[in-house]
Amino acid sequence: MSATQPTPRGSHCGRTLVIATHTFTQLARMKVFYFLAIFAVIIIASNFLDWQQLQGPEAAGANALASIKSSSFGTMHLFSVVLSIVATALLLPKDVEDRTLYTILAKPVPRLDYLAGKLLGVLLLVFVSLALMDVLMTVVLQIRTSMIMEQQTELAQAAGYTPDAIASLRAETMANGPNASLQGAVLAVFLRSSIIASLALLISTFSTSTLFTTVISSLVYFIGHFQADARDFYLRIGQAGQGGFSRAVSLLVSLVLPDFQLFNVIDAVIEGQAMPMLILGKLALIAIYYALFFTLASWFIFSDKEF
Amino acid sequence: MNIWLKSVILSLALLAFGAARLPYEAGLSHELRNARLLPPHLEINTLDKIGQTSSAITLGGLRTLVATFLNLRAYTAFAEHRWPDLAKTFNLIVDLAPHTRYYWETGSWHLAYNAAGYYLHDSDLPPLRRRELWRSYILQGHAFLERAIRNNPDDWKLLSSLGFLLTDSNKIPAFHDTNACYAAAAEAYLKSAATGRTSGFEARARLYSLARVKGKEAESLALARSLYAAGPQNRTPTLVMLLLVLEAHENPSLDVAQRAIQLFKTPQKAYSSLSGHWQRTRDGFPVYGVSAGLLSLENSLGISKEKSVLTKPLPPPPSIDDWFHN
Repeated sequence: MSATQPTPRGSHCGRTLVIATHTFTQLARMKVFYFLAIFAVIIIASNFLDWQQLQGPEAAGANALASIKSSSFGTMHLFSVVLSIVATALLLPKDVEDRTLYTILAKPVPRLDYLAGKLLGVLLLVFVSLALMDVLMTVVLQIRTSMIMEQQTELAQAAGYTPDAIASLRAETMANGPNASLQGAVLAVFLRSSIIASLALLISTFSTSTLFTTVISSLVYFIGHFQADARDFYLRIGQAGQGGFSRAVSLLVSLVLPDFQLFNVIDAVIEGQAMPMLILGKLALIAIYYALFFTLASWFIFSDKEF
Repeated sequence: MNIWLKSVILSLALLAFGAARLPYEAGLSHELRNARLLPPHLEINTLDKIGQTSSAITLGGLRTLVATFLNLRAYTAFAEHRWPDLAKTFNLIVDLAPHTRYYWETGSWHLAYNAAGYYLHDSDLPPLRRRELWRSYILQGHAFLERAIRNNPDDWKLLSSLGFLLTDSNKIPAFHDTNACYAAAAEAYLKSAATGRTSGFEARARLYSLARVKGKEAESLALARSLYAAGPQNRTPTLVMLLLVLEAHENPSLDVAQRAIQLFKTPQKAYSSLSGHWQRTRDGFPVYGVSAGLLSLENSLGISKEKSVLTKPLPPPPSIDDWFHN
């Protein structure tokens, strides 16, 4: 099919964007955004996971903010990973089933543009979903943080705290409220999803079914959380001057699987730690590196695949 | 292209790509761990205790979410007085979320105060068993707080909570060396105040602890003087009284009554404050010169011997034997 294709017209970006927009619309029509209603229920319910067990101004509402953040991020995490895997796994089989793939490939559309467009469509969907969830979380968190700060200030004033101590208390509470690090953590959730989506795309280019792609991608995602342990094991054994089979296996795991543990910085942010922009930049760099490699590898497999 | 050839090329590319990113990932992982942005590795033991499903969720990067739900489990254990379950659950929670102050504080409070209090009052167990459990839970709460501080050395509240526990007159009999407790509390309060994020109580609480450490009277006096000079917000009745008794220790010939009048403004207030301090036997504060000061003030105020605070029975000091008496 590719040998008889005429020369493509227009830019790569233009074609990719058209396919991405189409993919986004196609997936949005599957009523994915209904999930946001469930998210809203979860985030509102997490507000009630607060019963003050400790006394003192510092303890007032301390658990509520942590509950809202951990529940929101947990939901974002699960949603983004599941959506990235399942939506990507569906792309090629659905296009084959609908015969859209034949129509597209019969036109002067390079296969790389097609794959990149499909992947971008999924990522756009994940990004929009995460952005909407982020807005919801930030609004709820902002309201709750203000309420808690008001309560804490009243208690602190009654307990005779100095203005400096009250300011320090407010700063501590603010650090657990909506802030730049929290937005960075949402971006980290998206970056992790982009790796898993591009990996699922690679698997789907040689897989025989949607189920196979979903299962293998999920497994790789799960095992990817141990990649760092395998790498540490390999490097430590290397330092000890030992060798053997275990070293080879740990090296293989380190080289083949992505390191998803790096993205667990999200947990630290939920606990109130600040995430420097530089760290976010480094995570973005590695996510782009993975996404590019997996997309190119997908194209390599897909380039002369017969349908 | 042949499918086998493609597979070989792809595999080689995958390995080359992996080799290229390996040092970067190892460096970034190291950097994140040093910045405490990545949690420490979970022990196999912890994963076993969480259970298979939660372990999978935890390893999948949802540690704080699992910690949130385990906190619900811990609350149920607290409500049902299942103290061993509560201890186990909080140990899991802090393994998952080691930098969340709330979990450390709540866990130590449940152990040292609620579980210990339960065995002090509500149990049908024999006294010796109750006493052993009471002590055991206070020590567990203390160990939990010390672990909290090792994980979060800059957290002022955890340090303050440790100081509070070590100077609690209802808890101190659980520890063997009272003097060491007060010294450790003073150290904890010092570190807490040094963070610069405290309310001012921690700096005064350091003095309250240090003043009770035998052999630290001179250091305590210097601290009391600096706090007193720092401003009226520090001139609490306890601090002013400690300043007085420490001055009396430094200078045994000090006219305590006169100095008390100077510090507390009127002879009546001076007598009332000295009386109150004399009766605070449970707190174990030093009482250098207090009886002489009281006698002198009683003479000048015309208080009869029958009404003298010195002839009234003193509240008994904390005693485990009394608490766990049949």
